[in-house]
Amino acid sequence: MSEALLVDGSPMPFEAGDSVAVAVVRGGGWPSAGGTLCLAGDCGNCLVEVDGVAYVRSCQLPAQAGLAVRRHPSAGKPHLPAAIDPEAEIAVRRGEVAVAVIGGGAGGRAAADVAEAGGQEPLVLDASDGFEVVGVYPGPAVVARGPEAMLHLRADEVVVATGSADIQPVCPGSGLAGIVTARAAERLAAAGVDLGRTVVVGWDLVRFEGDGNGRVAAVITRGDDGSETATACETAVVDLGRAPRDLLARMAGDGADGAIRAAGSAAAEHALPPPPTSGVVCPCMGTTVDDLGVAWDRGYTELELLKRASWAGLGPCQGGACLPHVRSWIAARTGGPAPDPFTARPAARQITLAEAAADTTIDAFRRTPLHDEHLALGAQMDRFGGWWRPWHYGNPLAEYWAVRQAVSIGDVSTLGKLVVSGPDVVEALERIYPCNVADIKPGRSRYALLLNERGHVMDDGMILRMSETRFVLSFTSGGAANAEMWVRDWVDTWGLRVHVMDQTMSLAAINVTGPRATTLLARLGLPDAPRFLGHVHAEIAGVPCHVMRLSFTGEAAFELHHPVDGSVELWRALMTAGDDLGIWPHGLQALFGLRLEKGHVIVGMDTELDTTPRRLGMDWAVRMEKPAFIGRAALERTAKLEDDRRWFGFAMDGEAPVEGAPIRSVESGEIIGNVTGSWTSPLLRKALMLGWQRRRPFADVVEIDGREARVTATPFYDPEGLRARA
Amino acid sequence: MLALEPLRGLRVVATPDALDRARWTGSPILLRFAPDEMLAIDAVTVDIDDEDAIVEHETGFVGARLAPDDLARLIAHVDWPLPTDAGALAQGKVAGVPAKLRLGPAPLLVTNAAYADELVDRLG
Repeated sequence: MSEALLVDGSPMPFEAGDSVAVAVVRGGGWPSAGGTLCLAGDCGNCLVEVDGVAYVRSCQLPAQAGLAVRRHPSAGKPHLPAAIDPEAEIAVRRGEVAVAVIGGGAGGRAAADVAEAGGQEPLVLDASDGFEVVGVYPGPAVVARGPEAMLHLRADEVVVATGSADIQPVCPGSGLAGIVTARAAERLAAAGVDLGRTVVVGWDLVRFEGDGNGRVAAVITRGDDGSETATACETAVVDLGRAPRDLLARMAGDGADGAIRAAGSAAAEHALPPPPTSGVVCPCMGTTVDDLGVAWDRGYTELELLKRASWAGLGPCQGGACLPHVRSWIAARTGGPAPDPFTARPAARQITLAEAAADTTIDAFRRTPLHDEHLALGAQMDRFGGWWRPWHYGNPLAEYWAVRQAVSIGDVSTLGKLVVSGPDVVEALERIYPCNVADIKPGRSRYALLLNERGHVMDDGMILRMSETRFVLSFTSGGAANAEMWVRDWVDTWGLRVHVMDQTMSLAAINVTGPRATTLLARLGLPDAPRFLGHVHAEIAGVPCHVMRLSFTGEAAFELHHPVDGSVELWRALMTAGDDLGIWPHGLQALFGLRLEKGHVIVGMDTELDTTPRRLGMDWAVRMEKPAFIGRAALERTAKLEDDRRWFGFAMDGEAPVEGAPIRSVESGEIIGNVTGSWTSPLLRKALMLGWQRRRPFADVVEIDGREARVTATPFYDPEGLRARA
Repeated sequence: MLALEPLRGLRVVATPDALDRARWTGSPILLRFAPDEMLAIDAVTVDIDDEDAIVEHETGFVGARLAPDDLARLIAHVDWPLPTDAGALAQGKVAGVPAKLRLGPAPLLVTNAAYADELVDRLG
C-alpha cells in the first residue's frame, strides 16, 4: 500500500485494482451511513461525493491517489453540481451502428456472436472498458459516458445484456453497515479484504441487530419451528437470489417496437423474494413496507402509481434494490401474478448537467432586422414569443406618452403572417374562423379569434382580404408557428384548393401609432391613410409597404409590413421625419400597458388552455349562426352549461400589483382568481388590471394586493374607440 | 468565420405540377422547400401554370456557399441523418438553428435572416 485517497479528509490507503468502495471497506469503514453493499452498481448504498460530484457509485470508481471522497450525509440528499469544471468543454462522439450490445459478459458476448453470424458488426459497450451507459431511448439511441467523451449512438437494435443483480434484504436493521450480498462478499474476498467474523444468511433472515454504532452485530434467523436464533457477526452476507439487471431495458418502454430488448440473465425469469413484511424496502428513498401499505390503502394499487405515491423506486438505483420486493408485495396483496416491472428513465448513472447537455443547443431566438437599431437606441432586449424584442428604450413612461400624445413606432416584425390563396380559400377560412369571412371586402380586414375543436382560444389576429381568392392572415408572435400548422393541416384534411405561404420571417413590420401618426405617414408618401380596418399598398419613404390600419394601442395605428431588407431604411426615415412630431419608439412594456387600458386580450398571457370566447367576454367575435366552423359544436354544447370562469377588468387606487397576484373574495379572503395583466395608468392615475374570477357568483368588488378593487367595464380608455378611428 | 450573405429571388407556392414545369428567367438556384414551395435564388420572374400561385419577391433568407472544409465543420453540428441523394436539400437544425443545406458539388447553406446572427455565433 503506497497510495491513498482522501475520505472525508482523511487518507485512506488502497491497493491496485480496488474500487473506492472496496478501499473504504478494506480500511474498516463503510462508503455510506449503512445499507447492504452489492459492489456491482445496482443499488444506491455506496453513493459518495467525488471531487465535488455527488451520487457517484463508489463501487464502480477505481481508487486513485488523491481522489477526494466524501460520504453522503446520513439524512437529506446532496446537490448535484451542474458541471465539474464549468469552463471545460465536454466532447461528444456520435455514431451509428447496426447492433449495440450493452454488457460484455456471457449474455453480451452471445448477443454479439449472433449479430456477427448474421453479418452485422456489433458494438459492445461495457463499463469495465470505460463505457458507462447512462440512457437508452426509443429510436433507438444509446448515450454512454466514455473515458474521453460522451458517446451518442444511433442503432438499429439495442441488446441489453447486463446480467443479474443480487437481491437486497428488506427487514429491520437492513440499513446497518457491515452487510454485503453474496457476490459482493466474493469480490471482497478476492481482493483480500478481511471481513472479520461473517455469517451467511438466506430467506430465514428475520432482522439484523446493531452494535450501537450503526454496524451489524448479529443476524436473527427463524428456524423451521418458528424459533429465532441470533448469530453474532462482524459482517453479514445475504444470499437471497438474483433479479434481472434490466434497468436500461426498462427505459425503452413500448416506444421502440422491439428494437430494444433484454438478453441473457437480464431477460431471464427469476424467482421473486417472499413479500417483505417490515423494514425499508427502498433504501434510496427510505420507503418502508408500511409506506407501501399506506399508499395502497389510498388507492394506488397499480405498480406505476404505487411507485409514485410511495416513492419506492424513484431514487438513483430506480428499483435496482426495491423492485423485486415491491412486485412480490403487490402479488401477495392481490393474490395474483406479480405486475410487470415499472419503467426506468435516464440517467442510469450519475451524470452532470454539463455531460447531459454536451453538444446540445437551446432554441435559437430570432432577431428582427431592426435588432441593431434597437440596441443603438439603448433598448433593453428580452426574449418574447421566440424573438428578441425591445422591452423598453430606457424610459417606458416616455414611450407611453409618445403613443398617447404624439407618435411612436414599434417593431412588430414578429407577428405571424400567412398568405393564403386559391379557389377554395373563402370556404377554408369560413371553416377555420368563428367570424364571417366571405363578407370581408378586398381592402378591408377583420379581427378574428382562432379556436380549436373544443372551442378554446388558440390564437388571434387579423384577416385581410387582398382579392376574391387571396387573403393575408396575421397571428400573435408566439402563436404564429402553431397557427401556420393549424391552417395547413385543416386545408389538407379538407382537401381544399388553397395555397399557404408563411411570410413571418420574410416581412418585417413597424407599427406607427399615435394621434400624429397620419401626419407622419403623409410626410413619407401616404397622403390618404386608409380608414379603420382598411389596408392599402403604398411606398413609404421609398419602401414598398402593405399598410394596415388597426389598433392595439387605442390610438390611430398603422402596421407597415415590408420586405426585411427595407426595414432599417424605413425605421430611420420614420424617426427622422417624426422628430419634430415628438416621435419616440415604444417597447413591449409600454405596449402592454397601452393595450391593458384598452382591455385587449393577449392570447397566451391572459388566456388559459381552456379559455373560451365566452369566458373572455368575446362572444361578439363568434358567429354562431354560421353553419360550421372549428369549435362550433363545442361552443354550442357548452353554451348550455353554467360557467364559473370569467375574465374581467378591475380598477383600484394606488400602484398596480404584480402580474399574477391572487384575487381574493372580500367576504371570505379565499383566492377566487388571479391577475393576468397589471398597469398603473399614467393617464387615468389608478391601477388597472385584467384577470380571472373562477367562482360564481362573480363579485363586483374583490381584494387584490390587500386593497379593494372594483370590477370595471373595459375598455378603460376611450370606450367608444374614437381615437383609434380618428 | 462563416459569412452569410443576403439572398434575393422569388418564393413560390403553387401546385407541385406547376412548380415542376415553371419557367424561370435566368438560371436561378432552385431550392424545393416542399412539394408545393420553392425558393428560386436570383430569379426575377417566373411563368407558372397556376393562376392561384403565390409568387413573392423574397429577401428574408441568407446563405453561404460552402467549401469542403466549411461543409465538414457544419456537418459536425448536425445531429440528424443527412440525405445521401446528390443535390438533396437537407432541412433541419444546424447547431440548433433551423437551416437548409443543399448538398452536392456546390453545397449551399441557407437560413432565415432572423436566424443569421445566431447561427454565425454558434458556428464561431
